[in-house]
Amino acid sequence: MFIRMFFYKIKEISRNRTLLGWNLVFPLVLATAFFLGFGNMIKDDPDAFKTIEVGYVNTDGQASPFSMVLSSLSKENDGIRVLKVHKFSDVDDAKSALDGDEVEGIYIEENGSVETIVPANGLVSTTLNQIVREYENGKVVIETIAKDHPENVMNAVKMMEINKSVLKEYDFGSNTSPYLQYYFSLIAMSSLFSSWISTSMLEGMCANLSENGKRFECAPVYKLPSIVAGILAGVVLQSISNGIVVFYVEKVLGIDFGIPLLNVLAITTLGSALGIAFGVLIGSLCKNKNLLVAIPLCFSMTCSFLSGLMWHQIRQMIEYHMPIINRINPAALLTDCLFVRATYGKTDVYYRDIFTMLVLIAACLIISAMFLRRRKYVSL
Amino acid sequence: MSEKIVKIENLVKRYGDKLAVDHFSLEVEEGEILGLLGPNGSGKTTTINCLLSLLTFDKGEITIFGEKMAPDKYDIKSKIGVVLQNVAVIETLTVYENVDFFCGLYITDKKLRKQYVEEALEFTGLTEYKKYKPRKLSGGLLRRLNIACGIAHKPKLIIFDEPTVAVDPQSRNAILEGIKKMNRQGATVIYTSHYMEEVEELCTRVVIMDHGKNVANGTSAELKSTLMNRETIRISLPGKSEKILEGIREINHVYKTKEEGDDIIINCNGGEHNLVHILSYLTDNNVPFGRVSTELPTLNDVFLEITGKELRDKCS
Repeated sequence: MFIRMFFYKIKEISRNRTLLGWNLVFPLVLATAFFLGFGNMIKDDPDAFKTIEVGYVNTDGQASPFSMVLSSLSKENDGIRVLKVHKFSDVDDAKSALDGDEVEGIYIEENGSVETIVPANGLVSTTLNQIVREYENGKVVIETIAKDHPENVMNAVKMMEINKSVLKEYDFGSNTSPYLQYYFSLIAMSSLFSSWISTSMLEGMCANLSENGKRFECAPVYKLPSIVAGILAGVVLQSISNGIVVFYVEKVLGIDFGIPLLNVLAITTLGSALGIAFGVLIGSLCKNKNLLVAIPLCFSMTCSFLSGLMWHQIRQMIEYHMPIINRINPAALLTDCLFVRATYGKTDVYYRDIFTMLVLIAACLIISAMFLRRRKYVSL
Repeated sequence: MSEKIVKIENLVKRYGDKLAVDHFSLEVEEGEILGLLGPNGSGKTTTINCLLSLLTFDKGEITIFGEKMAPDKYDIKSKIGVVLQNVAVIETLTVYENVDFFCGLYITDKKLRKQYVEEALEFTGLTEYKKYKPRKLSGGLLRRLNIACGIAHKPKLIIFDEPTVAVDPQSRNAILEGIKKMNRQGATVIYTSHYMEEVEELCTRVVIMDHGKNVANGTSAELKSTLMNRETIRISLPGKSEKILEGIREINHVYKTKEEGDDIIINCNGGEHNLVHILSYLTDNNVPFGRVSTELPTLNDVFLEITGKELRDKCS
């Protein structure tokens, strides 16, 4: 019965042109409109981080801690590679490479100290200098402690590890364009539109909402498993719809989210489940058939607006003045989750967003189940 | 004695202060077509919803197939088919898929279900429309689909809640014939309507509801036999005089006459060949007369006599 119900719900929902229009066509149209409006600004974002080509000369001629730092920063981490190091044996060769624009800066290590040569101020010089500063600070701290309190050296190293993780969390990301947030909000909106799928599904299963619901409740079937089958069908279809939107934005419009595709799909599937769960909650609480259309629409649009669909800074403003709204707004959570993943990688904030969404899904479904268990009504 | 398929005892249902069903009792025997007749708002649909355990009720007890009815009585529900007042089908599924979907809520065996679905389509004359979406169907075909969805699983008890509202006469006749056929095949039927002609034609027994109460119960003939007026004769009599009218009133079984323009309306309280006796009297007295019509009493007359008001709606 469960599988049969699942496949019939797939058929029923996928043939609903209204749902198809709002959940798939509208996001595609909006994505295209965004692309026409500011697509190039995302592609050619001057603030987007690029791997820095740096020359390195070690006149001491032996392996140093700084060379290990450079080696570490040359490795790709969460899709981000900070430096690409070109080793030179001679300072003049390095300077020639700098003059020829083969590298953007040079590190010269001599007698244990590091000198940075950059042609101009800017993001590259700031980054290269910051790396040296962090290295020097750590080195001085360790040397001082080793001299005065050698027994605390290990603790100091551990403290620096913590500091390193904090720095890593606020490291530059691969995509920092604020315009990209519009696309994340768009995906959030598309996901929340799936609340319509749930309300239309419940309409056909609850006697107080439609004649179909009456017929369904007259039948000798358990209601909750049927609803779960409908929920799964809704999540599958909305995830496919979101997948198409993501594919269209990334592959057709050529806008890179900066997140591995499978990861984006996993997040958008979670978003679909979130939209479906909110729809189930709305459907279980609402008794008016007309409101089953109006409420999901208002809910989706309001949440999406507050997540930055029309003005990307609104989410930051809310975060500053009333962060609780961002913590419970499903569209803001999804937008933030995608943005954090794209910009900073899998940080604590990313996991917090995912956890909050899971909690919201569970809460919506548990509250709904309490209302949907009812099979006898005071009035119809 | 036949088995009691449905037993409603002392049912009371209130919507706030409004009493929708007022100590209503009903018994339906196996093989019957029971007509639940009453005007709009008399409590028929509320009673059916209580019977199906969709609605809570304030008082009373409902047993179906000898067991107390409850929302989780799936064994009872599996033997009931429901044809609702409004069409209840899924717009995005085809005719076949609709019947298959609703039949599948009762019949899990795929092969048997396929057979049942095809039989239901055949029965309702929808086989040639099975690939159509509901929006492509006419009102009458849509009603037939509504019925097919309700009866495909071959229920023992079928409840029709005003299935012919807003249906053209041709489709209505097809629906009524279908119900008779299902009854002949062994199904017990509860049929609610405010169309007295339908109920008279179809039902083996009639319960009349008004203001949530069971105001009369019996076969159509039994209910009509309670009336004083058994025959109404209308004769166009342009040259009538008081003497002629007096003579008509003296004919056996004539108990009342009434003038309406050139017409005279004569009520008889029984007897046979009343029209022959009246026309013989007019001929014997050389009284010219025009159009003549005679009407036997209807359930509307029964309702009128019991409640003091008419059932209002008539079949078109």
